[in-house]
Amino acid sequence: MDNQGLFTQIADNLSQFLQYTGFANATWGHILMIAIGLVFIYLAIKKDWEPLLLVPIGFGIIIGNIPLFPGLSVGVYEEGSVLNILYQGVQQGWYPPLIFLGIGAMTDFSALISNPKLLLIGAAAQFGIFGAYAIALLMGFSPAEAGAIGIIGGADGPTAIFLSSRLAPDLMGAIAVSAYSYMALVPVIQPPVMRLLTTNKERLIKMKPPRAVSQTEKKLFPIIGFLMTAFIVPSGLPLLGMLFFGNLLKESGVTRRLAETARGPLIDVITILIGVTVGCSTQADKFLQLKSVYIFVLGATSFIIATATGVLFVKLFNVFLKEGNKINPLIGNAGVSAVPDSARVSNNVGLEYDKTNYLLMHAMGPNVAGVIGSAVAAGILLGFLS
Amino acid sequence: MKRLFKIFLLSGLVLAGTQLYGQSQADMCINEYLVYNTDDFVDDYGHKSGWIELFNSSYGTVNIGGCYLTNDPNNLTKYIIPKGDVLTKIKPRQHILFWADNQPHRGTFHVNFRLEESDEVILVASDGRTIIDRIKIKKDLDTNASYGRIEDGIGTRDGSEGWNLLQRTSPSTNNSGSDKESASTIFKRIDPYGFIMAVTAMSVVFLALILLYVVFKNYGKYNIRKNRERAEQTHGKQAAKAEEETSAEIYAAIAAAMHMYAMDDESHDIENTILTIARVTKNYSPWSSKIYTLRENPCKK
Repeated sequence: MDNQGLFTQIADNLSQFLQYTGFANATWGHILMIAIGLVFIYLAIKKDWEPLLLVPIGFGIIIGNIPLFPGLSVGVYEEGSVLNILYQGVQQGWYPPLIFLGIGAMTDFSALISNPKLLLIGAAAQFGIFGAYAIALLMGFSPAEAGAIGIIGGADGPTAIFLSSRLAPDLMGAIAVSAYSYMALVPVIQPPVMRLLTTNKERLIKMKPPRAVSQTEKKLFPIIGFLMTAFIVPSGLPLLGMLFFGNLLKESGVTRRLAETARGPLIDVITILIGVTVGCSTQADKFLQLKSVYIFVLGATSFIIATATGVLFVKLFNVFLKEGNKINPLIGNAGVSAVPDSARVSNNVGLEYDKTNYLLMHAMGPNVAGVIGSAVAAGILLGFLS
Repeated sequence: MKRLFKIFLLSGLVLAGTQLYGQSQADMCINEYLVYNTDDFVDDYGHKSGWIELFNSSYGTVNIGGCYLTNDPNNLTKYIIPKGDVLTKIKPRQHILFWADNQPHRGTFHVNFRLEESDEVILVASDGRTIIDRIKIKKDLDTNASYGRIEDGIGTRDGSEGWNLLQRTSPSTNNSGSDKESASTIFKRIDPYGFIMAVTAMSVVFLALILLYVVFKNYGKYNIRKNRERAEQTHGKQAAKAEEETSAEIYAAIAAAMHMYAMDDESHDIENTILTIARVTKNYSPWSSKIYTLRENPCKK
C-alpha cells in the first residue's frame, strides 16, 4: 500500500469517526439540556437545594443529552443498553416503592399519633393534585395525562414517577424533573403563600406540646394504617404497602438491621439510580416540547394550590377548635409530602414571627400524613384512570 | 404438640402450593365457538372449519401445554395440547384459537375432532382428570355464527347465563368492547372539568385519613387512661398527674441536656451514641448476633 493510499484510509477513518462523535450530532436542544443539567448541579452544590436529588438528576440530564449516533445501544431509550436496563426501574415503576420502603423506615409517626387530627391537614393539601388535574384538563391534556401531571402537587417524586409511568409514560421525564425541581424549591414557593393567607395573630398561635407516644402505639400504627388505607384504595398497594412495611421494620424493635438497610444503603442506591435515570430520560428530542413547559407551569400551580388549601383548611379547622387546642396555620403547608422540607419551612416561617415558637415537631404530623395522603391520591387516580 | 403444629403447617403449605398450581390453569375458560364455517376465519392452510376460543381470565401468564381438549366425556385426554410450544403460554387476558378440523398433524392448534360431530367441548387440566371448563354445543347455530360469552370470561359453564349468540364473530379477540372506551376517555366525556374527580377523590382521601384519625384518637385516649391507672396504682394520684402532664418536649430536653453534658464533660470520650429514654427489651435474634455477623480475627500462629 503506498503512502497516499494509507493517508486516505486514515483520513476516511477519522472522518467516519467524526460522524460518531457528539460534536457531529449535537443540536441546540442538546446544548440547552446540558445547560439545564449544569444549573441543577450548580443549585445543588452552591445553594444546597436538595443536593441528594439535584446532583444525580443534573448529571443524569448531562448523560442523557450527550449527542449520540443512533444504533450504538448506549442511549436510555435504546432497548438492551445499560442505561435502558437501569431505566426499567423507573419505567416499570419498581424504584418508587423501594424508595417508600426507605421513607417508611426513616419516618417517625409519633407527631401524628400524638395529635391525630393533623392527619386531616395531610388530606386537605392533596387538593393541589386535583386542582392541577382540573386545570390540565382545561389545557387540553387527556384525563390520564392530567392525573399524572396533577400528582406533582403531592410534592412526592417517587409517587409522581410511579403514577406517570402507568398513566402517561411519554410525559414521565418532564413530570419527574418538575416534581423534584419543585420539591427543591419548597423553601422558595411556600413562604409567600403562607404569609399571604395568614394574619399576624394566627402566625403567633402556640400549639400544645405533643404527648409522649408509647412504643405499642408506634408498632400498631403501620399495621392499622396499612390495613385501613389499602382496603380503601387497593390500587395504592405498592406505595402504601412498602411505606408502612418500612415503618414496621423501624418500630418493631426486632428488625433493626433490616430497618437500617432500608433507610440507609437501599434508599441511597435507589435514589442514585432513580435520579440518574430520570435525568437521562430528558433527552432533548423527547423533553423539549411545549408540553414540558405546560407541565412545569402546572406543577408550580399544583404546589401553590396544595400549600394554600393546607393553610386554609387549618384556618377553617380552627373555627371548630377550642382555645388552647388551636393549630398554627403555618403548619398547613406541610400537608404536602416533601418530607421534611415543608415542615422545616413551617418552622422557619414561624420563628420569623416568634423566636420561641418551634413548629417543627407539630409540622411533621401533617408532613408525614401528606406522604400517606399522596400515596392514597395516587391510588385513586390509578384506579379511576388506568 | 409442636410436631403436630409443624405437620399441620407443612401440609397446609403443600396444599396451598397444589391449589396455586391448579389455579393458574383453572383461570382458562372456553370463551366462544363457531360450528359451521363457510365464510368466516381461515386457518394458516387456507381452510375454513369450526373453531374454539379459549380465554385466560387471569392477570398472569398461563401455560396450557399439557392440558387436554375433548368432545368426549368418557375420554378426557382425547387431544393433548403439546408441551414446549411457546405459543401455548397465554398472556394475561388474552385469547387462543383452536381449529376443530380433526387434522391434529397441522399443528398445535388443530384438534382431533370436529364441532359438527360434538355435543360438548371440555377443557381438561394437565392431570388429565380435572375439568377446567365445559360447554354444550348448540347445534342449531346458523352458518358463520358464533356463540360465546357476552363479556370475556364471565358466565356459567352450561351456557345458561352470560352466553349468547354474538352479533359478530370475534376469534382471538374480545367478544364485546374491543372498541370499548378507555377509562380515561369516559372520564373526559362525563367529567370535562375534573369536578367529579376532585370531589370523589378528595372524599376518598379524607375518608381514609378520617378513619385513621378516629382509630388513633380513641386508641390514644384509651392508652392515656390505662397509663394513668397504672401510674396511680404505683405512685399515687398526684405523681400520676405530674407524669401525665410531662410532655414529650420535656423528655427531649432532658435527653438533649444529658447528651450535651456527656459531650462537654472531658471525663467522657466522644462517642457516637443516641440517648433514648425508653425501656429496653432485649429480644434475641440471630440477625443481630455478633456470632453471625462478625468474622473471626485471623489466627496468626
